[in-house]
Amino acid sequence: MFTRRSLLAAASATALLLSASLASAQDKIYIPLVSKGFQHQFWQAVKAGADQAAAEFGVEVTFEGPDTEAQVDKQMDMLAAALAKKPAALGFAALDSQAATPLLRQAQEAGIPVIAFDSGVDSDIPATTVTTNNIAAAGMAADKMAELIGGAGKVALVVHDQTSRTGIDRRDGFVNRVKEAYPNIEIVDIQYGAGDQLQSTEITKAILTAHPDIKGIFGANEGSALGVINAIRETNTQGVTVIGYDSGAAQKQAIRDGLMAGAITQSPVGMGYETVKAAIAATKGEALPKTIDSGFAWYDASNMDAPEIAAVLYD
Amino acid sequence: MTDLVRLTGIEKRFPGVHALRQAQFDLRAGEVHALMGENGAGKSTLMKVLSGIYQPDGGRIEVSGQTVTVPGPRAAQTLGIGIIHQELALMNDLTVAQNIFIGREPRRSFGRLDEARLNADAAAIFAQMKVTIDPRAEVHSLSVAKQQMVEIAKALSFNSRILIMDEPTAALNEAETNELFAIIRRLKSEGVGVVYISHKMDEIRRISDRVTVMRDGAYVGTVQAADTPIETIISMMVGRDLETLPVEIPDLGAAPVALEVRGLRRGRAIRDVSFAVKRGEILGFAGLMGAGRTEVARAIFGADPREGGDIIVHGRPVMVRSPRDAVAAGIGYLSEDRKHFGLALGLDVRANVAMTSLARFRNAIGVLNEAALEATARRYIAQLAIRTPSDRQEVRLLSGGNQQKIVIAKWLLRDCDILIFDEPTRGIDVGAKAEIYRLMQGLAAEGKAIIVISSELPEVLRLSHRIAVMCEGRLTGILPGGPGTSQEEIMRLATVRQGAVEEAIA
Amino acid sequence: MTTLPAAAPARKATSGAQQKLLAFASLIVLLIFFSVASPNFLQTSNILAILQATSVNGVLAIAATLVIITGGIDLSVGTLMTFCAVMAGVILTNAGMPLPLGVIGAIAIGVICGTISGVLIAKMKIPPFIATLGMMLILKGLSLVISGTKPIYFNDTPGFSEISTGSLIGQVFPSVPVPNGVLILFVLALVIGYVLNRTVLGRYCFALGSNEEAVRLSGVNTDAWKIAIYALAGGICGIAGLIIASRLNSAQPALGLGYELDAIAAVVIGGTSLAGGRGSILGTMIGALIMAVLLNGLRIMSVAQEWQTVVTGGIIIAAVYADMLRRRRAAS
Repeated sequence: MFTRRSLLAAASATALLLSASLASAQDKIYIPLVSKGFQHQFWQAVKAGADQAAAEFGVEVTFEGPDTEAQVDKQMDMLAAALAKKPAALGFAALDSQAATPLLRQAQEAGIPVIAFDSGVDSDIPATTVTTNNIAAAGMAADKMAELIGGAGKVALVVHDQTSRTGIDRRDGFVNRVKEAYPNIEIVDIQYGAGDQLQSTEITKAILTAHPDIKGIFGANEGSALGVINAIRETNTQGVTVIGYDSGAAQKQAIRDGLMAGAITQSPVGMGYETVKAAIAATKGEALPKTIDSGFAWYDASNMDAPEIAAVLYD
Repeated sequence: MTDLVRLTGIEKRFPGVHALRQAQFDLRAGEVHALMGENGAGKSTLMKVLSGIYQPDGGRIEVSGQTVTVPGPRAAQTLGIGIIHQELALMNDLTVAQNIFIGREPRRSFGRLDEARLNADAAAIFAQMKVTIDPRAEVHSLSVAKQQMVEIAKALSFNSRILIMDEPTAALNEAETNELFAIIRRLKSEGVGVVYISHKMDEIRRISDRVTVMRDGAYVGTVQAADTPIETIISMMVGRDLETLPVEIPDLGAAPVALEVRGLRRGRAIRDVSFAVKRGEILGFAGLMGAGRTEVARAIFGADPREGGDIIVHGRPVMVRSPRDAVAAGIGYLSEDRKHFGLALGLDVRANVAMTSLARFRNAIGVLNEAALEATARRYIAQLAIRTPSDRQEVRLLSGGNQQKIVIAKWLLRDCDILIFDEPTRGIDVGAKAEIYRLMQGLAAEGKAIIVISSELPEVLRLSHRIAVMCEGRLTGILPGGPGTSQEEIMRLATVRQGAVEEAIA
Repeated sequence: MTTLPAAAPARKATSGAQQKLLAFASLIVLLIFFSVASPNFLQTSNILAILQATSVNGVLAIAATLVIITGGIDLSVGTLMTFCAVMAGVILTNAGMPLPLGVIGAIAIGVICGTISGVLIAKMKIPPFIATLGMMLILKGLSLVISGTKPIYFNDTPGFSEISTGSLIGQVFPSVPVPNGVLILFVLALVIGYVLNRTVLGRYCFALGSNEEAVRLSGVNTDAWKIAIYALAGGICGIAGLIIASRLNSAQPALGLGYELDAIAAVVIGGTSLAGGRGSILGTMIGALIMAVLLNGLRIMSVAQEWQTVVTGGIIIAAVYADMLRRRRAAS
């Protein structure tokens, strides 16, 4: 009896929470976004951009993603539930394009346009892909690193993941740029910390111990970059140039404090916004370009308060 | 006639302990042979050697005249040796029949079980034993006595000719013990040899034919049960003569009342119990198992909620809603299950003695004063004659009697002047028992009020200044202590049932 | 003439059934609630999506149930599943062997790994929590090492995706194309349910969880049976590995961590006691379904993701508390 009652109570509480939005949602255009993640500030910024577009264009948007970027099957379940709601269009950032193909085909057959975002979907089904050019962005990080350390010395990378597209692109973008343009820079180590701040801290400490003469470290996403900063702070290391990726309150503060030289920012808010905008266009049958660049930029203490940069940074 | 079992020159060493030294034992068909000795004398170890649980380091095992080895429990079963362990070895979540045939389930092809035959076979054994237990009942739903019967049925299911019972009545009341004895007698008449390990002298006299006594892992001697005085057996066990003093009842006419309980109630377990204990008095609580004595103790101590009743300590009513309140009022409870509720077995003597009084030994930031802890522990070790190599000895390595003394020390240190002892000598051997008795009498003489709950009537009679008797949650009478009160009188009060149908047993 | 004391009243042996009924009732209430709340919920395609979402967790939960009934725990079910999937990838894609070999290989690897866990626990006396925690990490690492940290795709083995996503039932009844992964789950549940209740192995599962020492003293080779049970659980993880790899048409080496907790949650919601000795496959299946229905339903209702997690946690606590209440009532 207890379970039944408590289930009802829990369920009716949630029902109450949502009854208002449900009632109004019935006649609005509905666009679910199934993302690669949810808890990370980056994805929350994408969500913010999507919500902004939803308010502006008067559509209903939901945003979901699995707890970690490894949970490919959980993302499939989210995609299946999203399709069951018979949406007008669908925003999707695939953890694994191949695994998603059957469900995407199902969407295609039901006439639901799919807008890929972030790392995109490796298939011809999506109407367009809203993405950051990660290879170019990481290349820009390499250029900045070379400039700041005087074009010579040892550098290391702390990357979030060795299997995901963004992990691979940012690593390769940085490494390849160094190889082709800066022969005097030696990449001594590339380590993976799952984007986990603590794990990345430990990794960085190990790198600092192994290479006391290191000149610079590149943290390839927000969690990795914060881990690098943590390690620098805890070991009280001087003279190592740190370049980060993405933003967030902690990373912004590190740049203000001079612990971090600067970082590459994508425009997650812009990504969310552009995805919803493209989805609405797709429902109206408008033609869309193959890719929509959501943009990236270098920011440091000198320009981070400029309006055009501040707008794409998130806390 | 060949002996069923003959053990000679059995040696067994454990790290640091020489557990069996040239131990010997023999068992004839159709006899009950009691094996006695103080705790640690090696009785259980010897029987574990016979039943294949331990491997001997030397000596010879003969079964029906053949020299055998018993490499494991399975081999013992094949030889017709069944053992009922002191701590019941049943699987509570399985049914009775499943327990009896564990490891020998009737199978069909592909390891499938034949549940119908399993139940039928179990029912057949119970029919043979003339007891009524549903083979399909889950074991946790049975009373301890019934569980004991299941153990016996399990041993019989091997067609055991040799049945070892290690303290089978430890958790049984009088009636259940009688039932068990009836079964033992029946088995005996069918030619089964029974090894009976027990501390209870009266039982030995009632059920056994011969008694073998062991001490310190060695054989002491074998005597006929019928014509050997208990004192002889005891002196064989402890190696010295024990004095048996009758209880001396002090004059408590002027002593103030320490604890008064009025109208204590909780469901069917406690029905309107009222009594008082004076300073310096030992009040015994007698009754059958399930009479509600422990429940009363726990309710007074605040361990269980109560529905009604007042608790008055030294003339002042106190609110006891948790053990914490009771301890604050100076009431200490020494649980019948020391190992579960009384002691932290893995910790040393020092830590256990100070367990409930740690606040006294810490400084402002919570660091413990080890020197004071040590001094206190040493003081009690001396005062209570606790036999331990040092105050750093882990409690689990001490004997039952010494463990009990540590529990007593714990409550004395907490300044408790009302002490409730629940089965204070359960699992404690004869020599240590007398010591615990002296200790309790000494505490009373110092002015502590003491309540003793015991299922052993001789113990109640030996200790109590007055005897409260309970039956089914009610206090059915309070008798004076001393030689004027007989066991029969107590039993009469313990079986005064109210409006209940008397269930006769075979 | 003596009297028997008031013995504990004989309890009816229906406590397990009661819990299952309770869990089943909760499931029905959830289904009705979501059906009323959203018209999109009760559609064939969505129900099939729920079942498919249950398939992997359900199979892992069956493996976990076996081990938990023995009073143990298996934290390695998730990463063992992944490891088996990766090994299937190695056999089929990297070595180009035929499909049946991949299937047998994955299950065999599961059995071997389960046996290793069993030996660690039974013979080397390492506590199950620690032994399987170690195996969990070892297998996660090995999955990454063997796969070269990249997913292995099954594009060269056309029949492979049929294991999970094809539909034998759909060929007979085109209107209900139940995916094979779901079919495997239900068949497996029936088989293991039978094994648990009707065979010697199952009997020893309960017996070990109830009182291992008593079983040993009864002359049963407890070590061997324990190893057998962990091996069986490992084999079931191998089946889970095949289902998930087939569904994703790839072996994802980074996946698997955290799946053991979902499996344990399903087991516990289904009324299996973590203390061992009590439990059922039916309960576990209902538990796994409750979790999947709940998540899907909340998603269909567009409940924010943060709250989905909160509700799931609450349900686990409520389910276990209900079980405690029921047991306390039964005991008094």
